[in-house]
Amino acid sequence: MSVQIEAYVILSAVLFILGAMGVLLRRNAILVFMSVELMLNAANLALVAFARQWNQMDGHIFVFFVMTVAAAEVAIGLALIVAIFRTKQSINLDELHQLEG
Amino acid sequence: MPEVSSAVSLTSVMLFIPIVGLIILLFLREDTQREAIKYSALATSLLTFAASVLLWLGFNTSQPGLQFAQRGEWITSLNISYYVGVDGLSLLLVMLTTFIMPLAILASFRTGVLEERGRQKLYYAFMLLLEFAMLGVFVAQDLFLFYIFWEVTLVPMYFLIGIWGAEQRIYAAVKFFLYTMAGSILMLLAVLFVGTQAGTFAVPDIIAGVQNGTINFPFDGIFSTQSFLFLGFLIAFAIKVPIWPLHSWLPDAHVQAPTAGSVILAGVLLKLGTYGIVRFCLPMFPEASVAWAPVVAALAVIGIIYGAWVSYAQTDVKKLVAYSSVSHLGFVVLGIFALNQQGIAGAILQMVNHGISTGGLFLMVGMLYERRHTKALNAFGGIWKVLPVFGGISLVITLSSMGLPGLNGFVGEFTILLGSFGSQYLGFFFTLFATIGVILAAVYMLYMFQKVFMGELDKEENKNLPALHWQELAVLVPIVILIFWIGLQPGVFFSSMDASVNQLVTQVTDVAASVALR
Amino acid sequence: MFEIPTLEALNLAPALPAISLAFGVCVLLLLDLLVVPKDRKEITAWLALAGIGVSFVLNLAVFNQTADAFLGMFVADQFSGFLNIVILVGAAISILLSMDYLKRTQIERGEYYSLMLMSVSGMMFMASANDLVMVFIALELLSIPLYVLAAFRAPEAKSEESGMKYFILGAFSSAFFVYGAALIYGATGTTNLPAIFQAVTAIVAAGGSPMFLLLVGAGLLLVGLGFKVAVVPFHMWTPDVYEGAPTPVTAFMSVGAKAGGFAALLRILAVALPSFVLADGQTTAAWQQLAWLVSAATLILGNIVAIAQSDIKRMLAYSSIAHAGYIFMAVAAAGTQGMADAAVQAALLYLLAYTFTNLGAFGVAMAVEKDDGAGTRLDDFIGLAKTRPDLALMMALFMLSLTGIPLTSGFLGKFVVFKATLDAGLVPLAVIGVVTSVISAFYYVRVIVNMYLREGEGDPAAGATRYVNWGVYAAAAGTLIMGVFPVVVTNLTDAVTLAATVIR
Repeated sequence: MSVQIEAYVILSAVLFILGAMGVLLRRNAILVFMSVELMLNAANLALVAFARQWNQMDGHIFVFFVMTVAAAEVAIGLALIVAIFRTKQSINLDELHQLEG
Repeated sequence: MPEVSSAVSLTSVMLFIPIVGLIILLFLREDTQREAIKYSALATSLLTFAASVLLWLGFNTSQPGLQFAQRGEWITSLNISYYVGVDGLSLLLVMLTTFIMPLAILASFRTGVLEERGRQKLYYAFMLLLEFAMLGVFVAQDLFLFYIFWEVTLVPMYFLIGIWGAEQRIYAAVKFFLYTMAGSILMLLAVLFVGTQAGTFAVPDIIAGVQNGTINFPFDGIFSTQSFLFLGFLIAFAIKVPIWPLHSWLPDAHVQAPTAGSVILAGVLLKLGTYGIVRFCLPMFPEASVAWAPVVAALAVIGIIYGAWVSYAQTDVKKLVAYSSVSHLGFVVLGIFALNQQGIAGAILQMVNHGISTGGLFLMVGMLYERRHTKALNAFGGIWKVLPVFGGISLVITLSSMGLPGLNGFVGEFTILLGSFGSQYLGFFFTLFATIGVILAAVYMLYMFQKVFMGELDKEENKNLPALHWQELAVLVPIVILIFWIGLQPGVFFSSMDASVNQLVTQVTDVAASVALR
Repeated sequence: MFEIPTLEALNLAPALPAISLAFGVCVLLLLDLLVVPKDRKEITAWLALAGIGVSFVLNLAVFNQTADAFLGMFVADQFSGFLNIVILVGAAISILLSMDYLKRTQIERGEYYSLMLMSVSGMMFMASANDLVMVFIALELLSIPLYVLAAFRAPEAKSEESGMKYFILGAFSSAFFVYGAALIYGATGTTNLPAIFQAVTAIVAAGGSPMFLLLVGAGLLLVGLGFKVAVVPFHMWTPDVYEGAPTPVTAFMSVGAKAGGFAALLRILAVALPSFVLADGQTTAAWQQLAWLVSAATLILGNIVAIAQSDIKRMLAYSSIAHAGYIFMAVAAAGTQGMADAAVQAALLYLLAYTFTNLGAFGVAMAVEKDDGAGTRLDDFIGLAKTRPDLALMMALFMLSLTGIPLTSGFLGKFVVFKATLDAGLVPLAVIGVVTSVISAFYYVRVIVNMYLREGEGDPAAGATRYVNWGVYAAAAGTLIMGVFPVVVTNLTDAVTLAATVIR
């Protein structure tokens, strides 16, 4: 007897919520960024689980796309973080207040 | 409905003459060709006037429907067409517009503020754009087209006040813009709703549909779909008129606007509102019109008294004339909501009268201002002794404005009062209070005239005022002629609208009566 | 179990406009690196414009057909055809606006144009995406270059901050989108939009636990796309990002990203979820209530906060939030049965109108902006009518168009959107729409007041170089033509239907 599909979905939901809270609560750019990755991976877990349930390839393929795109985001995101660190010597998001509001 | 030709009609020709003039103007150079700019603007407006005279001459007074109509395709997918034409309701107002515009432009030639602030090309371009838009409002027979012209009138007037106005001009311009826009955008919703329900935006088609029952805006009391549509239109018009208590933009706009701006504002722009009520509110929503008639008429009467009262309290000539507009336009609204032949015909004639006489009063104030650079009542006194010709002309205009028999104002006001008295929806009390307004008008008008022209010539500055320039005379004389002509031969003017007004009254009362029977 | 599809089966022809652009990006990168000399980067700009031209022509060739490519993941129809026009025109004007700006602010680098084209191709894929996977990829292709472009003025702190904020919220919203897509996949077993529609219909009839997945999934999808198009409550990034990014990027972002986001939103809602929880006897979809609220909140907040702004870029940022609210009115209208096509047509018209007007407004703002990024206060417009009457006149036109005064494109947009809203029976929303339009007049008119009515020195508008002028003139022409001869565009949008999309 394998694990029920619900278990995977609930786990993924927990991961997703953790990730979302991380984005909203953390102030360190790297940690925020990792939280976003956690959200994406929560989605990946759900996709794989559902693909298994439907016995299809579609979900798996979607996961590959998500991973690829996440990699591209990492490249851009880290580059931005490095650039900001060079100008401000900090990656604390609270210190980004050049723009009013 | 008979098919309307899509061939170019005289109405369209007249409508687009100002635009042609505007384009020519754009190619003239501000710094080197200032005279050419002035005179080409004047020539354009005179040409437009000539075209409207052709309309007048070719107009068949026995036919109630649209004449010189043209209907072309425009936005077919939304059932919107380019549909223009004139009938008895709009002919006189078209004439009024084309008559006032050359005078306003000519009066601008001798306005100091134009020399001072410059940008004359822009000024005359806005004047012509304004003429185009105002004529468009009067001839448009498609709700969408009408709405476009209606909104476009806002823009040039806003700039005229804002750039060439007096000290508080920015405040007045913005107030004018926001007030009128607030009203008209509510109307946009009503326009959309009517167009969607009716499946067409063509006003004659909608009216015909309402008459034969194929288009039905549900009505069951003063708070029903039809009433809300009626109010959507009415509030926009009421702000423009302005009907008390929506008038507070008017004194600011008038006082701050340059002379020509005030003349056009009082002469034509305010009539867009009263015309809109006659053209759209009454025939499209007859039951609601009947149901709301006493309410609107009551506001109109309050406006008559209030306007007169506040006028009397003013110390600034221009403000006095501005508030008198609130009072005079109250008569027009009262006449419209009498919903009978006399009331509406009187109201339309009174629109013209008010345009001529109040336009004349603003010209008079403007000429005084050019000479004395003040508008305070107590700065004047005894001007008659220095400027007898100007004083005489001003007397005629003042008397016309207060409704002296034999002059134009009397004919309009008297007909309206008759209509209101004989109306089955209004009656004695409305007429009584309106009559009090007539008396008050005499009080504040004579008060003004006496303060400015009569009395001792006791102020040094007033002793050497320059006499009227021939251009100023050329502006005032046509006004005086028209004042006498309408006053002595009102039949000519009434006959041009009788058929259309008659049809309108039938449209409203028939439908309303059938509701009463139901 | 798996066959490699042949090239014929992929049927790439309908996707050529988008593919050609993606291919063009690669060519442009290489050419810029190897051929174009370092001090002549405007050549790259012209090459980019040529690429847009090629794509435009290809788009006209496939315009009036409905065909699918990539095995049903991609569909070319009038909807995507029209949106492609919007996007390409917007991109072309943005490039014109960028050329001199980059030079005078000393950030002229060839990648700029490649990044822009990449984003444009993402928008075009977005307009045609017929599958959640495709929507996701297009969304990222659209967004990632924009993160870089927003920070293009690095090492200037404002620009970097803008890029960072945009990036974090963009990534955050993509995560929502993906998770929503995953749940919808879980409920329906497919990611193809028309197939989702069929599955949803079955699920609604049967009820049960997939219903819950579907609700949450659809909600998360909307959150993800809501961030992209900047509607309340997902709007807070907009003013900061718009203010900090280089102005031509802001201009491009405000129209392109919005067009892309609404393309996906409309297609998902109108194709995949039109009957969502449409039980017996009901004529409105369940998400209509939500869309209604979002639209109303966006209209009110965007318009009211815009009044308080003193910086033109921030003012236009809030104004763009407000305009997202107007387009969202059409989205809400699409939730009434039988209204989908009319609402989609209205939204398309609005998008095109907004594209012209907003690009023009940003163009004039750029002309007044100084080389160091100063000169974006509203007060910097004082006296512009004296120094540059042509620019002032056009700015006035754009402001009137954004307010919705007739004879401009903005009026046409508002007219059709309000009409759709009324037809859909959403009278209160239409009332909110018109009331907020009046409120918007406050801050748009203020710009005109500054230019024409207030006395002052007048800015020389040194930024108004030749290409900026061209861009602004083009935008003004578009604004006027749409306002005076709407038939030109309504003929195109009238043909748009989303009902009969291909299912594989």
